[in-house]
Amino acid sequence: MPQLTAIVTGASEGLGKSFAIELARRSINLVVVSLPASGLPELASFIRKNFEVKVSYIEADLTQTESSPEIFNYLHDHHITAHVLINNAGLGNWSWFEEKSVSFYKTQIELNVMTPVLLTRLFLAQTDASVTSYILNVGSLGGLFVVPKKQVYGATKSFIRYFTRCLQLELHGSNVKLSLLSPGGINTKPELLVMNNSLKGISKATILEPEQVARIAIDGLLKGKKEIIPGIVNRMLVLLNSLLPDYVKDSIIKRRLNTILES
Amino acid sequence: MKVLVTGATGFIGRRLTLSLATAGYEVKALCRDTNHPYLIKHQNIEPVLGNILYPQGLKRVMAGCSQVYHMAALAKMWCRNPDAYHETNVIGTRNVLEAAKQTDINRIVYTSTCGVWGPTIKHPMTENDPRICGFPIAYERTKYLAELEVQNFVRQGLDVVIVNPSRVYGEGPVTDSNTVAKMVFGYLKGTWRFIPGNGEQVANYAFLDDVVAGHIAAMNKGLTGERYILGGHDISFNDFFKTLQQVTGIQQSMIKVPLKVIEFYSMLQWLKTRLTGLPPVFLPEFAQRLHFDQKYSSNKAVNQLNYTITPFADGLRKTVDHLQASVQQTHQESSSTISELCHN
Repeated sequence: MPQLTAIVTGASEGLGKSFAIELARRSINLVVVSLPASGLPELASFIRKNFEVKVSYIEADLTQTESSPEIFNYLHDHHITAHVLINNAGLGNWSWFEEKSVSFYKTQIELNVMTPVLLTRLFLAQTDASVTSYILNVGSLGGLFVVPKKQVYGATKSFIRYFTRCLQLELHGSNVKLSLLSPGGINTKPELLVMNNSLKGISKATILEPEQVARIAIDGLLKGKKEIIPGIVNRMLVLLNSLLPDYVKDSIIKRRLNTILES
Repeated sequence: MKVLVTGATGFIGRRLTLSLATAGYEVKALCRDTNHPYLIKHQNIEPVLGNILYPQGLKRVMAGCSQVYHMAALAKMWCRNPDAYHETNVIGTRNVLEAAKQTDINRIVYTSTCGVWGPTIKHPMTENDPRICGFPIAYERTKYLAELEVQNFVRQGLDVVIVNPSRVYGEGPVTDSNTVAKMVFGYLKGTWRFIPGNGEQVANYAFLDDVVAGHIAAMNKGLTGERYILGGHDISFNDFFKTLQQVTGIQQSMIKVPLKVIEFYSMLQWLKTRLTGLPPVFLPEFAQRLHFDQKYSSNKAVNQLNYTITPFADGLRKTVDHLQASVQQTHQESSSTISELCHN
């Protein structure tokens, strides 16, 4: 197998950071992308020091349309072919629709919808057909369940679900493998660390640590799994989703909502 | 100069109050119980009653002080009320900083922990390195969140320096959060006879006196908003017990317990606690940690604060002498207090 190189967007923290470390652990070279001043040079130097891989970093705001071509121009200039694309960067929130501004939703849609589409298009244009390439699109269980206070976020993740599923059909038989990652809650951002720890019972059992999700996701991606749902409780929920009547599902979601509203 | 120390009855806090008092500072020692047995009696130490969870009293306590060492925290492995970690470590810190902002405090040293980095891969972690995993351990999670609170106040103009001690050992009481003393004390009594896994797992051990001096140096020379790892030597379990054997002259036959067994045991403990509410001996999140090293570099503190590191064998000898002396002393007073020493 040739030396692989992976692009990870949103790599400076949370799940993206765990992806970068997990790929480095598997001796895959990295191109990590994140916002300026988000600790990317420090992460790159840490990974170079602790693993035997090459790490390039690109500080860019992916909501700017020109950022996506810039990444691939950089790769081209440095004679790097990317074999793996992890479309991880995303903007989440937990708020009633009217609580957020117009510009917030614009940014959210640009980052969660536009960016993965552009990056996937540009990535496919530079792949080496003789080597298997991999694309991991980070969706969400929220793309499957309708959850209050996730109206736009959930819709962007539904987009990612359709987009990935459809490309899987189009690219069937090619040397490109696409996986959709549909995680439940992950203990990443500080506010989630606080919120998730106030959950109880089943809701709490759906929450995973980022390094667990990254390990399961990369395993699934390299195996060519179509959809990766980390965590047995989450898989059971998806199974139940197809079996349970709507009112039971609603009550689960409402209970989770209540725990959070109380805290 | 008047300084306030929160957590003055803690393992590091009591030693810090003594060090400051000896150096001529007037120390206000904040405690929830001014008759606490671990509180050090000294003419320059004034015990003041207070609680970091009650913000009203904090401003009054800080009046007249120009510096604060905020080291009060919930550091033990398990607590009956799981919210207590967030309350004490995050909200408590916010309360202290808010009070400092509203009074004439010039500078605060906040005691964090190397636990905000947690596991390491190959090289010792430095202040700029990222955390490589999530925060399943409540203490680490809430200390990380507390650091974010500190950074928030620094942005608002408050002068705070953060110090991050590693696993601290030294002369002091055997408390719940004092892992090393529990191991050494257990070894002396012959009740601690096991080494986890193959014994090659490395952790960083910081000598108490170094850490205390590091706090005072951070107050005098640290840069605002910066973090300083106050660590010691990276030592494996095997080397730890080899050194302990050399220092004590006591040879215990040690059993190496496979990590799988420890993990299984920790899950039984977790279940026991879930079902009965009794305190666990060990928890799964800690068993998982035994797969990783915890190596930290104190170079930044050495270079910027003139931090010094006591050789491990020397530090351990002092710790052992202290524990042996306190055991003998307790024996003379009453034998029942030994168990108290273990469980406090």
